[in-house]
Amino acid sequence: MSVFVQYLVNGLTIGSFYALVALGYTMIYGIIRLINFAHGDLFMVGAFAGWFVVGIAAGMHLPVAVQLLLALLIAMLAVGLLAMGIERVAYQPLLKASRLSILITALGVSLALENGAMIAFGAGFDTFPPNILPLSGFQFLGAQVGDVQLAMFVLSVVLMVGLYLFVQYTPVGTAMRALSFDQDAARLMGINVEGVVLITFLLGGSLAAASGVMMGLYYTQINFMMGFLMGLRAFTAAVLGGIGNIPGAMVGGLLIGVLQSLAAGYISSQWQDVIVFAVLILVLVFKPTGIFGERVVERM
Amino acid sequence: MRIRSSWLVAALTGASMLLAASPVASGVASAAKSPIKIGVTVPLSGSYASAGIDILNGAKLAVAKINGQGGVLGHPIQLIPADDACDAQTAAQAAQNLVAQGVVAVAGGYCSSASLPESKVFHAQGDLPFVLDASTNPQLTEQGYNDIFRTIGRDDEQGPFAANFIANFLHAKKVVVLDDNSTYAVGLQQDTVKALKKLHVNVTVEHLTPGQSDYTSVLTQINQLHPQVLYYTGYYTEMGLLLKQARQLNYKFTMIGGDATNDPTVLKTAGAAANGFMITTAPLAQFLGTASGYLQKYHQRFHAAPGPYSVYEYDAIQVLAQAMKNAHSTKPKAVDAALLKIKNFRGLTGRFSFTRQGDRTPAVYITLKVLKGKFTAFEELNPAGKWVPVPR
Repeated sequence: MSVFVQYLVNGLTIGSFYALVALGYTMIYGIIRLINFAHGDLFMVGAFAGWFVVGIAAGMHLPVAVQLLLALLIAMLAVGLLAMGIERVAYQPLLKASRLSILITALGVSLALENGAMIAFGAGFDTFPPNILPLSGFQFLGAQVGDVQLAMFVLSVVLMVGLYLFVQYTPVGTAMRALSFDQDAARLMGINVEGVVLITFLLGGSLAAASGVMMGLYYTQINFMMGFLMGLRAFTAAVLGGIGNIPGAMVGGLLIGVLQSLAAGYISSQWQDVIVFAVLILVLVFKPTGIFGERVVERM
Repeated sequence: MRIRSSWLVAALTGASMLLAASPVASGVASAAKSPIKIGVTVPLSGSYASAGIDILNGAKLAVAKINGQGGVLGHPIQLIPADDACDAQTAAQAAQNLVAQGVVAVAGGYCSSASLPESKVFHAQGDLPFVLDASTNPQLTEQGYNDIFRTIGRDDEQGPFAANFIANFLHAKKVVVLDDNSTYAVGLQQDTVKALKKLHVNVTVEHLTPGQSDYTSVLTQINQLHPQVLYYTGYYTEMGLLLKQARQLNYKFTMIGGDATNDPTVLKTAGAAANGFMITTAPLAQFLGTASGYLQKYHQRFHAAPGPYSVYEYDAIQVLAQAMKNAHSTKPKAVDAALLKIKNFRGLTGRFSFTRQGDRTPAVYITLKVLKGKFTAFEELNPAGKWVPVPR
């Protein structure tokens, strides 16, 4: 039992990182029907931005809490703006072109970000200061839970709930949902479509950056290719939950994390991806719209 | 064709310049005598260039010492470097190049994958003696050649060494050996497990998939088995993460890594969690009591740290020179036979002989331990087979 709880705790930690990235996939798909393959790399850029800020802040001997807060906020802002820039330069001119052109462009942006990061930061591993976060923890139902694990899980949930409330209850959120139903109708109602799309990218990018900074801090090692695997898993999470559906992305991310952890623990780590993708295929066979995609996929 | 001919001209000019320069470089006493040419095949370009330069520097120090003492059989030694770029195809060309320049022996090598085609060329060209300083793949000395030797251990010798350390020094009764499914790591895992079983240690094998960030599930699974020791045979990237996550999970087993975990990235990733972590590895020059003079000379001449393998190259050149002296000849086949006959050669890396295949015996491995955030020399096996602290 205690071991099962341990796998669950481990899985929820990594799952919350997946969920934050999955939200970006799902929001952008919901609004402009684009699978933004560069989204995983925004996560990577976020991790590097956080690493950069921590390096400077540590050099200025700021208190650790301030270092962490600065790293998180600056990375979220920087990557949010980067995502807006990418949308403006690479995607917006292609919104009326064929679906395939914009998809290929997204792949191109992904490669550009990866190789750009490789040129800027090198092909090796960079590391956050390893002792910046405490290793302390406590026992919960026989499982070891790190204080940091708990803090990151809570922060992820706060961000996710915040996003959900934003989309449900603010005018901009309402505009986003309107856009996901029918772009032309929304435009006729006087909604600034281009502006709302840009805000969606800002939100998606900054959530990915938050995930990147937290994951970098938690695992210490970061690398220019770290966004690839993350992108793949987060995309899977978004599809599993029902792409275009915000609560679906959250649940999908956590579910993938837990599945992976249980598969690695009870079967073998070599089989974890096989099992995760087998579950994905099974879910899609019986419920092609994903777990939460009950109505139309277009729903946000 | 134009490129090729201009390349040829450049090569010829380079070679003639080397020839012209050699009497000046090798000292006045033997200026009249023609030099003995020894080739050095190492990567001098590409991502492993820095390792190659370290090794070449080790060779230069050995040659300076030998020529300072009057050379070999009255002739000075002249080094001819060849860049193999750690690439099989470049390596074969580099080896041909050395043969064309008239080398009588070769000492070098960094990447086993490049040393392999080189050894085939040297073998085909009249059994040129080839003494390897850093290529550890077992296959190299198992080709049935009588002209290949190495001053470093083989990959499959580390396993028994690690098993001995775990069973006889740490007195562990229950051990988990973890690999990352790569060819190298699985090989080391199998050798270690075989040796541990012979020592009646209860051992379980686990595998992980490299390239992930989260290994907590694997660690939790391992902890279920209540081992005293976890030996990881993979690379440094995962080792740092394993150490850190095991500490976060509050697991108490002792963690040891194979020689591929000997990298500062482990310390940077794991921070305080790396303290107490141990590694089995071929010793670096700074951990060899016999090599302190070498360290100093290296610093003086090259203003840098000697890298992990340059001291093995130093021994490779020295043992070649000794074999030529013993054989009273530089004829390849005579030197091959003399190398085989060398017994207890006193190298900077300890005393050694060669097996019939040309492998170093006894192989030298030591253990390192992380103390206060630094790799420090820990225990080694003395000739009597007892564990003793590495002298510092």
